[in-house]
Amino acid sequence: MSFRKRNIGLSTGGDRTGSVNASAQSQQAPAAPESTPGVRPSPDDGRPTTSTGTPSLDNILAGHGGLPIGKTLLVEENGTTDFAGALLRYYAAEGVVQDHRVHVVGMPEQWGRSLPGLIGPADAVDDKQDKRKGERMKIAWRYERLGEFGAGIAGSRVPTATSGDQSQPTADGSPDKRPAFCHAFDLTKRLTHPSIANLNYIPLTPSNEPLFTTIHKRLDAAIASSPPNTVHRIVIPSLLNPTIYPPESSQPDSVLPFLHSLRALLNTPGVRATAMITIPLTLFPRATGLVRWMELISDGVIELCPFPHSADALATSGAATSHEEPPQGMLKTHRLPVLHERGGGSDQNVGQDWAFTLSRRRFEIKPFSLPPAEGDKEGQDGAVPGNMPKKADLEF
Amino acid sequence: MAPTNTSHRQTHNLLLISKLLSLRDTASPLALVLDSLEQPATPLIKEYIRRAKLSKVHITFVAFETLKPLEGVDAFVAARKKSPLEIIKAVNAAYTNGSTSGPSRRRLILIDAINPLLHARRTDAHFNVSSFLSSFLMPQGPAASKVEASLVVTFHQDVPSPPLPSPYTPSPLSMLTYLATTIIRLHSFSHILAQKAARDRSLVPPVFGLEEELDGVLLGRLDKPIGNESAQGVVLELEHRRKSGRGVLEWYILPPASRYPPQYAKEIVTLLDDHPLYRPPQEPDFGAGEEEPESTFELRLTDRQRRDREGVVLPYFDAQQGDGPGEGGRILYDMGEEDDFDEEEDEI
Amino acid sequence: MPTQPPLPPLLAPYVSSLPPSSLIVLSTVLGAQGNWLTLRYLYAALNASSTSDAALILGERHNGKKQKVVLVSFLRGWEFWRAEAKRLGLDLARLTDKRQFAFVDGLSELFSGPRTTPTTTTTTTTQTTPPSLVPSPRGGPVPQRTILPSRSAPGPIPARGPQPARGPAAVAAPAPLTPSAPSAPPASSREIGPVKRLHLSGKGPAALDRLEKDIAAVVAHLSGRATATAEGEDDSEVLLVLDQPDLLLAATGPGQGIGATEMTEWVMGLQQYVHATVMTLAADLPLIHNASAAAHQMPTPLETEHAAFAIGSAHRAHLVMQLRDLDTGAARDVSGVLRVSKGGAWGQSDNTDANGSWEEKEALYFVQRDGGVSVFGRGE
Repeated sequence: MSFRKRNIGLSTGGDRTGSVNASAQSQQAPAAPESTPGVRPSPDDGRPTTSTGTPSLDNILAGHGGLPIGKTLLVEENGTTDFAGALLRYYAAEGVVQDHRVHVVGMPEQWGRSLPGLIGPADAVDDKQDKRKGERMKIAWRYERLGEFGAGIAGSRVPTATSGDQSQPTADGSPDKRPAFCHAFDLTKRLTHPSIANLNYIPLTPSNEPLFTTIHKRLDAAIASSPPNTVHRIVIPSLLNPTIYPPESSQPDSVLPFLHSLRALLNTPGVRATAMITIPLTLFPRATGLVRWMELISDGVIELCPFPHSADALATSGAATSHEEPPQGMLKTHRLPVLHERGGGSDQNVGQDWAFTLSRRRFEIKPFSLPPAEGDKEGQDGAVPGNMPKKADLEF
Repeated sequence: MAPTNTSHRQTHNLLLISKLLSLRDTASPLALVLDSLEQPATPLIKEYIRRAKLSKVHITFVAFETLKPLEGVDAFVAARKKSPLEIIKAVNAAYTNGSTSGPSRRRLILIDAINPLLHARRTDAHFNVSSFLSSFLMPQGPAASKVEASLVVTFHQDVPSPPLPSPYTPSPLSMLTYLATTIIRLHSFSHILAQKAARDRSLVPPVFGLEEELDGVLLGRLDKPIGNESAQGVVLELEHRRKSGRGVLEWYILPPASRYPPQYAKEIVTLLDDHPLYRPPQEPDFGAGEEEPESTFELRLTDRQRRDREGVVLPYFDAQQGDGPGEGGRILYDMGEEDDFDEEEDEI
Repeated sequence: MPTQPPLPPLLAPYVSSLPPSSLIVLSTVLGAQGNWLTLRYLYAALNASSTSDAALILGERHNGKKQKVVLVSFLRGWEFWRAEAKRLGLDLARLTDKRQFAFVDGLSELFSGPRTTPTTTTTTTTQTTPPSLVPSPRGGPVPQRTILPSRSAPGPIPARGPQPARGPAAVAAPAPLTPSAPSAPPASSREIGPVKRLHLSGKGPAALDRLEKDIAAVVAHLSGRATATAEGEDDSEVLLVLDQPDLLLAATGPGQGIGATEMTEWVMGLQQYVHATVMTLAADLPLIHNASAAAHQMPTPLETEHAAFAIGSAHRAHLVMQLRDLDTGAARDVSGVLRVSKGGAWGQSDNTDANGSWEEKEALYFVQRDGGVSVFGRGE
């Protein structure tokens, strides 16, 4: 009977399911290859998911290991920092690397040029990280270098692989041959990739039509005109930010219909797209009805609350010891895709406090624990070499 | 309060509520019922209808938010999508239609909720609550002028009011309370009891429902919040303005409709203060504390101990004797048999 | 396999046998969505006729009346409801064919017109239904996992073989298939498809009227009456489920002439066509309390109108089912709190026997991964 349950889960949309459901109607299903790069079935219920470009963010999305196709993620940020922008860049860069079609709303082309450079598949980086946890500090550091080297090779292999072996099924056992689902990026480098030119920029140009109607039409047209198998990523940085958007766009009857249409677009059968939206909470607090409605229309809502003083830690600390860095802020998950729509609960991560750390090459989300008391910290810093492994053991 | 005073107030105010609810002598042409989700007006409206039926008053129900006519209503006017003027016309027409069947000279107009009208976009800037309501009470036309009409308007207190068209105009609620001759605020009896219980212990009175300001909570009412079946009923906080201008403020309780037969003619409303749950009858103080121990220590004095204590001459009496500085101030005490004098410790 | 019964016993009295012309308000918050509860309403109404054994239990209570459901969803598409209902054992596609269920899509084209993609813009009944509306086998699950590797071949048709005559090509068949539904002229049934898509056009109350007409047409089609009349003597009762109509209010607002009163009147208009109505609303703190007098800031019109609509609806409701997060924060074995309260219209109609089993209570609920729901008291 557990078999049936899985089948039911599988039938919740997307191309794979379409073919499973044996519907001759689904136009895209026959043509849909099993191994669309960057799309894999959710370990939870088999629905197709795609990576956000941030492995640890993928991991907290209610057990799906990524953002399910057809879902929107609203990233809210307090303060004037731009951690959410980093998440967006990872998301967009991941799309570029995976040959997804990336639509960027309201940003100039410089934004696309500032995407972080590719390091390699995130799996490799993760493996390295796992080893690092268990081993002594020195060895871990070595592995890190090695892993990065190998990852670089694998990463460079990915774009070629995507065009070539599309018929390769995901069920293929060996992890080496499987195209990477998520990649690691380096914020200090610039992404160079052949498909970066394919970024679709949707500028906010004034016209007779309401602004959001124009955006929606252009998104719709761009998605409609692309080949049916294309996976789309819609990137909307800093929605409603008055330096980008005209003031009348923050009227509920302007922005809410847009988000609703966007939701409708993503839910259209045959369209395989995800969207990530960021919004500055300082200008639009969560306590207002407008933002609450934007959250209600979105499938996933996460809030970033940066700690006030940790911004300079980012600059001084090297990436090598990134996982020892103090957290730079709290991350709250207010709503997770699929899970909350079904009624919530039952996720192992629900109720967890999260902290995030942004370093050069990763945006890491991990369970939040209060740091040791201030006085203790100095003592720890003094005894770094001997204590490090133990501390790492304790932490995980 | 002296007993005579209480009974006077009792009879007087009970007579008043009886008159108001039964619409006798047009005691109050415009009654405003302020309800909330915690205590909706439905029981009171049904009581109005019941009494009006008993005294054969013609009832018109103007429904802004009710779909089905309530039982016992003579005319049901659906106000959905109607402009104020159309509503007035329909209400006036309802009576002329109904009056042919029975020669009742009094009529009761119930408005189930005035909020939708105040909120409606279709009401233009010239809409005026006072003229709207008074047009029910004083209909144009010579034929209808003899009718004594009473208007009972329900206003949901917890529904937020729309922003005022001008910052200088009074809010609709203050307008209504100003116009109304009778204002009845409704409270849930169980909440009143819970709040009283808290106040009696000098605790912060609890709040319910929307006032809790909890995410996702609209209603806080539960059937048996204190596990007390008899804590049902509606508490009416009545504010009535007499023709003389004098105001009366009184709290009543309306028992649930299941407690009395629909044809029951006697007054069922009682003063809140007379309700046994609100003010439990004082039990006579017989043999206070004799049965149950209050403490493991005996804190009371026997008569003999009290006498002995009174017999103690306190030091300042001795000091006033004027024996000179440094003298006096002794405790003069006669040792009793139960005192255990210790040579080494005690000194006199 | 769901270890929980589809209808938790504690919940059963509230979701089945709704009194006539009643309104049930289902208030939800961001972290505690009510879709599972909405599905329970669907299940209670539809299950009696879809499976025979439960019909014996529920059928009696409904006095032999057939329950039909019109689901109007403004935030969720057909695919979601179909998949979630399937987890409960309800085959909405088949029920649509049998004219016991109709879905009104308030998501796809509400604000934007039909999509420009030629593949999805379709006009006829058969193609308006999403592709996956085609019922997949409920009784005999295809072992999908095992077939998957071979599925890369561009031919899913072999798997379709075992399900005959259920495809869209067979839509002409359903009208005769419905055994007891009142026979409607088949010509009219062609025009109104099983999935009606709403589109908000124009401004103000006129736009709402148009939506009302569209939904009324679906209701009329389902109940087999040529014209939408008020609920009369009929052998079927239609339950209308409105999923978050408050979106309409939020996304239009008083600036476009749609306020709380207009929305309330719109819902009242819809209520006239059906036996009972279930409506889900957002009751998040900012949407309800920012507009209250105790708030410190000037409320925005969105907040005022939403609060007026939500609270006003609670005043009009017979029953208010309130979902909220656990007060003590999220937990692993509790999804949220369900509070059942009697609404402002409770007791207006005197038939106490129909809803005598309703009792106000507060309980915890837990939605399992497999879709099963358990409802239990605190400490149980």
